[in-house]
Amino acid sequence: MVQCFPVRAVLSFFVGLLLAAPAWAGAPIEKIKSSTDKILSIVSDPAMKGQAKSGERRKLIRKVVDERFDWEEMARRSLARHWAERTDAEKKEFVTLFGNLLERTYLDKVEGYAGEKVFYQGESMDGEYATVDVKIVTTRNVEMPVRYRLRSKGNEWLVYDISIEGVSLVNNYRVQFSNILAKSPYKDLVSKLKEKSAQEQ
Amino acid sequence: MKGLSRIGIVAGVWLFLFCGSSFAGAPDGSVSPEEGFLWELRNQEGEVYRLEGIPVQPDGPGHLLSFKTDIPGIILDGTTGKQEGQGLPSPAARPGEGRDPFQEEEVQESISDPLEPVNRVFFEFNDLFYFYLLKPVAQGYEAVVPETARLGVRNFFTNLGFPVRFVNCLLQGKFESASMEFARFILNSTVGLAGLIDVASEGAQMKRYDEDFGQTLGSYGIGTGFYIHWPLLGPSSLRDTFGRAGDSFLTPASYASETQYQLAVRSFDTVNETSFRIGEYEDLKKAAIDPYVALRDAYYQYRRSKIKE
Repeated sequence: MVQCFPVRAVLSFFVGLLLAAPAWAGAPIEKIKSSTDKILSIVSDPAMKGQAKSGERRKLIRKVVDERFDWEEMARRSLARHWAERTDAEKKEFVTLFGNLLERTYLDKVEGYAGEKVFYQGESMDGEYATVDVKIVTTRNVEMPVRYRLRSKGNEWLVYDISIEGVSLVNNYRVQFSNILAKSPYKDLVSKLKEKSAQEQ
Repeated sequence: MKGLSRIGIVAGVWLFLFCGSSFAGAPDGSVSPEEGFLWELRNQEGEVYRLEGIPVQPDGPGHLLSFKTDIPGIILDGTTGKQEGQGLPSPAARPGEGRDPFQEEEVQESISDPLEPVNRVFFEFNDLFYFYLLKPVAQGYEAVVPETARLGVRNFFTNLGFPVRFVNCLLQGKFESASMEFARFILNSTVGLAGLIDVASEGAQMKRYDEDFGQTLGSYGIGTGFYIHWPLLGPSSLRDTFGRAGDSFLTPASYASETQYQLAVRSFDTVNETSFRIGEYEDLKKAAIDPYVALRDAYYQYRRSKIKE
């Protein structure tokens, strides 16, 4: 059953988050590469290995990731039409919850990094938006095309969506959330997110 | 423009169907690109239908919305760039925001799911099937059979998929891909010992062109249809189900002498393939708030992107 559809594609965006540093002409490439290198070095640092160090490791990785990913933009786009209806406090809460959800899943995957290779296929830029295409090749020669969408904020370029094999992360969550919000009130969604976070601890 | 004319036709049909009905509960007039809108329209029989506009990217260029409706008989497929009468909303452009030029590549609707209750039941069934039967068997198999052998089996079955890929490449006019597939097949079947070794990919670095009849139908412009989640087979759509049926004529295993042999071959292939993919389904469940919807949407997006390429 699972074979008729590459579930791995949906999940490997987390590997993609780690490895596929968006690259395009100019100084930003250096910044992105350094973010990626930082994370990789944290993950492969022998002093940081093992269960005991896991909390510290995650904190360090999260710091690097926060510099590169625009959690608020991702959260906003995943709520889409429902975002505007939220109060400021609710918005803040949602960004935190959603960010934690992504972070947790991401960190689990990052720690399973096993030598995948990253190839930069191309990029395009248009005003304040950019797209970067990357190919991840696993050790078993399985290729995964990854597409980053970025938006410039001041001096920085931040990622607001990732697509693996054409499956967009933000869109996937947007459909899930809108499906839930069509049937139940917003607070149910929030409690589902909180429940999930409690489960995973 | 294609999207626009489709909206126009659909709107026309819509108005025709509701000819003579009046729309009570008119839209409240607030339509904006990042918020979208939701109209509830009541016809003369008092039935309420929803028409929803979903922003493609909530703070994008201010003029891309995709539409969704549960008005029976209507499948809305497309986005509107600029408003065109016909009772469709005029999304307001937000000044000074700049365009998100990459939105136009992706029409982010989701697949319609009128069979959702049934699909969910099958989804739960598949879930149980996976955890209680398929996964333990695959894990046992994985423990016993070395990876090289399992890869060999996988390559063997992939090679047998040649007729499906080849014919569908041809049907889509992708002649180069077809000839590449043919070359791969010859190479793998001979040098690759009846397909056990994927010489074409590893040695010759040849790409596999994974086409199937569902994609062929999609490339002819046949829409996805609604979502169907089959027991055991997993996620599919109306069109892709016909696709599978079509492809089964090209699948060698279908011609095995008795049903039990067909079943045995398919089961073996499934167990072998699953032995490589243990953990993926669990990851999906872990990342999703609603795994059923997550899988459905991922399937839909994936198929769209495969048809595009």
